[in-house]
Amino acid sequence: MRDVTDELGRKIQIPQNIHRVISLAPSVTETLYALGVEDRLVADSDYCDYPPEAKQKQHVGGTISPSIEMIASLHPDVVLVTKGINRLDTVNSLASLGIPSYAMDPHSVAEILTSTQRLADLMGATQVGDTLATKLRQQLAETQKRVAPFPPRRVLYVVWPQPLISIGQDTFMADALRYSGAISIVNEPQSWPQISLEEVARQQPEFLVFSGSHMASAAVNIEALAETPGWRLLNAVRDRRYANTSDAIERTSPRIVSAIADLARQFHPEAFKVETPTETDQGGTRLPAPTENAPPPTELKPKPPSAQLDPLVIAECACAR
Amino acid sequence: MRPLTFTRLVMNCFYLAVVLFVVMVIALKLGAVPVSLYGLAADLLQVLFHRTALSSNYDLIVIDIRLPRILLGIVVGASLSVAGTAFQALLRNPLADPYILGASSGASLGAILTLIVQPYIALPLAISVVFTPVGAFFGAAATIAAVYFLGRREGLLDSNTLLLSGIVSGSFLSAIIMFLISTLAGRGDLHGILFWLMGDLSTTLQPTLRWVLGVGFLIASGVIYSTASDLNLMLNGEKEAMHLGVDVPRVRLVVYIAASILTGLAVSVSGAIGYVGLLVPHVMRIIFGSDHRILIPTSAFGGAIAVVLADTLARTVVAPSELPVGAMTALAGAPLFIYLLRRKFA
Repeated sequence: MRDVTDELGRKIQIPQNIHRVISLAPSVTETLYALGVEDRLVADSDYCDYPPEAKQKQHVGGTISPSIEMIASLHPDVVLVTKGINRLDTVNSLASLGIPSYAMDPHSVAEILTSTQRLADLMGATQVGDTLATKLRQQLAETQKRVAPFPPRRVLYVVWPQPLISIGQDTFMADALRYSGAISIVNEPQSWPQISLEEVARQQPEFLVFSGSHMASAAVNIEALAETPGWRLLNAVRDRRYANTSDAIERTSPRIVSAIADLARQFHPEAFKVETPTETDQGGTRLPAPTENAPPPTELKPKPPSAQLDPLVIAECACAR
Repeated sequence: MRPLTFTRLVMNCFYLAVVLFVVMVIALKLGAVPVSLYGLAADLLQVLFHRTALSSNYDLIVIDIRLPRILLGIVVGASLSVAGTAFQALLRNPLADPYILGASSGASLGAILTLIVQPYIALPLAISVVFTPVGAFFGAAATIAAVYFLGRREGLLDSNTLLLSGIVSGSFLSAIIMFLISTLAGRGDLHGILFWLMGDLSTTLQPTLRWVLGVGFLIASGVIYSTASDLNLMLNGEKEAMHLGVDVPRVRLVVYIAASILTGLAVSVSGAIGYVGLLVPHVMRIIFGSDHRILIPTSAFGGAIAVVLADTLARTVVAPSELPVGAMTALAGAPLFIYLLRRKFA
């Protein structure tokens, strides 16, 4: 047995070598797959849907109220949870059964990466974790280098349109926007503030940002908003200036790095002009943007994106303008 | 009961209309974007008489965002109060409010179901923008119709049976909602769902819905008003009213349907805004007496004033964030209700 401190500062005792883990959050499941330790993942939650193989794992219920019985019957060495999604009750019930749980709680993009490394440590895959984190940091730096010359876009992240829910300034999503060369016009301390449309009309964001998880398609959505009184006052709606990305932007997993790159391309297409189309573009459904189609091949060849992480994100980007 | 003269009715309504107007002006002026009174008047005159494009974005904010929201608040508040007055008279129970028959739970469930299925079905744009309010309305209508049939005894509506079946249906539907929420908690739809449970006026309505809402309100409250004298007689007992020539079953059915339509309309665009339909009729009864010929119109004004006031607070106290108006009415309504209760029995 060894003592480990999790990201909430709780001391837990876990076996020296971890053979069986259960993940109760989609982001944790994704991270385990990214670290290549998915064979030790014995079960996950109903909402763990990425990568698609995660859906084939045994499920122990939802994130809010998983079945403690089923978790216990699977005899995990440790249960992985996040503070943002899971409940303390679950952790306490597990503790009373003698099942240790390790909590993750990243609040920024940088913390997501260190959090990934710590999880790799826990799983005894320190080397893999370091390599992955280094690669992701390089990708982030690459994106940042490209968008750095341009002034950040002022954007409104739309979590839900009616009533208008956006993201607070302290969320990791607001941080991800900053990495992608944008800044949220919402400056609130709550995580999910309800914002007055009036304030948005006053601020006139340059872009609206939608994530793919619950908007079936942002294209339909923005057409609906353009017809809606109030919303049609926004120049971004009138000119159909919006960015759409996968739900990776809402998850504290390594995949957020590719979501950041995807958003950066949509916010600052000019920053990515001199570039060969990557292999991921071929299967994608990107609309041809007249200003940037068929960029000439140049020497500035980006390293091939991690095959595991990128395709979904790019495929869902249907609206670069 | 003081005899009602036409002058007294008109004067009382006039006073309330003045109060409503002042509240509207305040509501139009306050908000995240500062607007001067003079600019406000200029904008309104321009829109009313010239129909020209407004000069700046600031004017558009007032006309396109604030004014529709205030008008929505007026119709919703008036609908809830008239429906509350009607249900209190119909059920002869001072605790009755528009949601007592389960309308809000039904509407929430209808709305939640549309939110759940929407991503999976491709709807034309024109339908998808009104899908959720329509779903909410049918949810409310179905619930109230079900409660009606559950609440009948030997072919007649029975107040107690109706109340009990309303409460039971409401809690049953709430249980289904809780079930859906806990099974769907990992999905993003939750934000949209919570809105239906809290009550909120920030929805911007499609023009067609605005017409449906306004016309529906006028017709349904007109119908209720036409039964005002009968409701007065029924206050003293239904047998007595029947002896005085009131067709009690018909009045009950008509009021039941009209009040349900009002509730369904209000709840389908704003979720469940608590306390307005319960409290405003009581306050108006204290001020103006329990003659329904005057209580119904004054309640309509009172409800409008209460909701617009509450929504103005909801918009401004934590600006630029917003609170749901339902949280505001509950915060103000609960203590006021207790106060009225204590005063009555003191």
